[in-house]
Amino acid sequence: MTRKEARQLVRGLTFLSPWIGGFLAFTLVPIVLAFYYSLCDYSLLQSPVLIGLSNYRALMGDPIFWKSLINTLIYAAIALPAGMLVSLGLAILLNQRTLGQPLFRTILFIPSLVPTVASAMLWLWLFNTKLGLINTLLATAPMQALLGALNTVLHALHLPRIETPIGWLTDPAWALPSLAIMSLWGVGYTVVIYLAGLQDVPRSLIEAAEIDGAGAWQRLRHVTLPMLSPVIFFNLIMAIIGTLQAFAIPYIMTGGGPARATYFYTMYLYDNAFRYLKMGYACSMAWIQFLLVVLLSALAFWSSKRWVHYQGQ
Amino acid sequence: MKYFRMFLLALLGCVTAYLLFLVQPGESSRKDGRVVITYWEKWNGEDAAAMQQVVNDFNNTVGKQKGIYVRYLSMSNVDQKTLVATAAGVPPDVAGLWNTQVAQFAEINALEPLDDLAKAHGITADYYKPVLWEGCRYKGHLWALVSSCGSQALYYNKLLFARKAAALRKAGLDPNRPPRTLDELDRYAAVLDEYETLPNGFRRLKQSGFLPMEPGWYLAYIGYWFGAPIYDPQTDRILLTDPRMVKAFDWIRGYSLRLGKDSLSEFRSGFGTFNSTQNPFIARTVAMELQGPWMTSTFEKYRPAMNHGKYPRSLERSLSPTQRQENCEWGVAPFPSAVPGLNDVTFTNFDVLMIPRGVKHKKEAFEFIAFVNSQAETEKLNILNCQDSPLRQVSRHFFEVHPNPYIAVFERLMAGPHAYGVPPCPIWPEVGAELDNATQRVSLLEASPAQALRDAQERVDEKYREYRERQRARRGSQG
Repeated sequence: MTRKEARQLVRGLTFLSPWIGGFLAFTLVPIVLAFYYSLCDYSLLQSPVLIGLSNYRALMGDPIFWKSLINTLIYAAIALPAGMLVSLGLAILLNQRTLGQPLFRTILFIPSLVPTVASAMLWLWLFNTKLGLINTLLATAPMQALLGALNTVLHALHLPRIETPIGWLTDPAWALPSLAIMSLWGVGYTVVIYLAGLQDVPRSLIEAAEIDGAGAWQRLRHVTLPMLSPVIFFNLIMAIIGTLQAFAIPYIMTGGGPARATYFYTMYLYDNAFRYLKMGYACSMAWIQFLLVVLLSALAFWSSKRWVHYQGQ
Repeated sequence: MKYFRMFLLALLGCVTAYLLFLVQPGESSRKDGRVVITYWEKWNGEDAAAMQQVVNDFNNTVGKQKGIYVRYLSMSNVDQKTLVATAAGVPPDVAGLWNTQVAQFAEINALEPLDDLAKAHGITADYYKPVLWEGCRYKGHLWALVSSCGSQALYYNKLLFARKAAALRKAGLDPNRPPRTLDELDRYAAVLDEYETLPNGFRRLKQSGFLPMEPGWYLAYIGYWFGAPIYDPQTDRILLTDPRMVKAFDWIRGYSLRLGKDSLSEFRSGFGTFNSTQNPFIARTVAMELQGPWMTSTFEKYRPAMNHGKYPRSLERSLSPTQRQENCEWGVAPFPSAVPGLNDVTFTNFDVLMIPRGVKHKKEAFEFIAFVNSQAETEKLNILNCQDSPLRQVSRHFFEVHPNPYIAVFERLMAGPHAYGVPPCPIWPEVGAELDNATQRVSLLEASPAQALRDAQERVDEKYREYRERQRARRGSQG
């Protein structure tokens, strides 16, 4: 390394130092310390005492840990694919050249700008069993007729009937799916990313497919989606991280109820840390969550070789 | 230019180093030489303003004489902030927390014991109402003193009783008085219920006589009204599966069975928040509730006519105690017990003032706590906050000017032998969460009372066993 290069390195590192310092102080060190505390009995005010894997063992036998983990995975299993499909579908629709396209795009993005607490309050009213707009609509004659037909089908399939008014947030069977439905409210950001990706799909490829006689569905299936796959992959990773960390919305809207039906993993982690003052236990939960995210992301990366296509490859 | 940039960088470095290492959080003395003590409190709005008056009184009197100045900060999540600040070695001198945290914080050595200081100020067991004194103690030491406290009693809406007078009489019940036994309460409630049927056949509840889950804040302690002990201090065991506790939860379940869990859930979803005109007691959709003395100020704020039905507010001061009670649309009585002969049962909830471990001005901090607990100041605060007095001796003035004309009922209940508080258990927040879950499971008919309580007991036993083992091991490792 020449003197000039060394000087440039120092200068570069100096410019990077605020980020490096912040990353070390507020991310890396806490992550490492959290791992150490996960092996300790630690309540913030008492000095940590090493207890090996006791916290992890205790978690394995803790039914609330499993309940919160299963709730989170069910929520992720509903919210993640629903969010991906809806946002992709909306992005494709908003990519069509129609009258008022910018207006529709703006309208769709507006909900993403509403603060979390305000969104939660709004949806609390929409989901209200007695006064909510959703149940009011379901009580109208056409919707009742539709529900009647749906119930006939459900009955034929030996499935439980849908009784109105629906206790969206008060019935343990409905509460978790309701929160997953609500999560679609914030798809605006994902739609914008998809839209940017769609702008990047080479027009020449679509035209070539058209000349070859491909219909709209075939163009979407064989040209647009493969070209969009890196963006889909990015959104998938972000969605995995986001859904496994769901906290604010259920905390505000249901507090984990009814009867722990919406008690999420991060809520139990928070309660252990700050309500029960079991910081070591909470740290072990945080590490399990971290490993779970890493595992699912690794799975996504592994599978990406089969379905993600990068331009130029 | 090169030297200027170096100078700027050096300056930035110096400022950063100064901020990181040299700046002390807050001043500890004023220009006039008075020691500054910081006081963090959870209250906001009118409650915070009431405490501000007491703080001002202190700063203008005792504080001035003894050279102490209280800096009062009202904040959210005060318990978490206190904990983190204590761990960081910069705790507030006084922290206003909850009674459920006395044992929890004391057990992890987060608090300074107050025995000697309290004794020196003449604050002893004889000074306090027994249930509160015991609630401030843990393992033989005093860790906190009370700022504000309230006992629970039955509120009943006289207007709704009068509207249903004929039906109540037909059922053999007197519409001019509240229920005296739990069985009577259930019978009153059934008569006061009103329904309507929707086009799809759904039977909608329009008005309810009583709902255990409304507001449901104290259902974890409902066992007290059934004679259940909840906690055994001899064996240090939480007793959730006691047959009397099961009976209490069976009573909760009875309401879901009678009213229908879906109908009940739909009805409750129409309620607004406690602090709103849609509060079901204020909206006259629930006729009876288990609540504390503060309800009067909520009525005053959202439906003042409930407090001044007969005489205008301007005449309030000139009214006799009986006239003041007649002026209210509502009345208060002890919440009836399920056990014959077990009368005047109440649960007492209270806010506490504690001194976190490692404060610099413990003595000065206690001067302020003692001042808040002087008869004149505690009565002033609890009149403003519409709460009970924590002291055994209560002045006539307190009863005369207290906004709640039924304050004597609350005072009698809190001073009585059947006033109960939060058990002295360091994992009570976890036990409370389990009991809360059990009440929800029972009211949603997801589990039988026995099953829900058995599940809760199993979890609590396991958590408590583990907690005690770790605390023992910790004490062992520290010699």
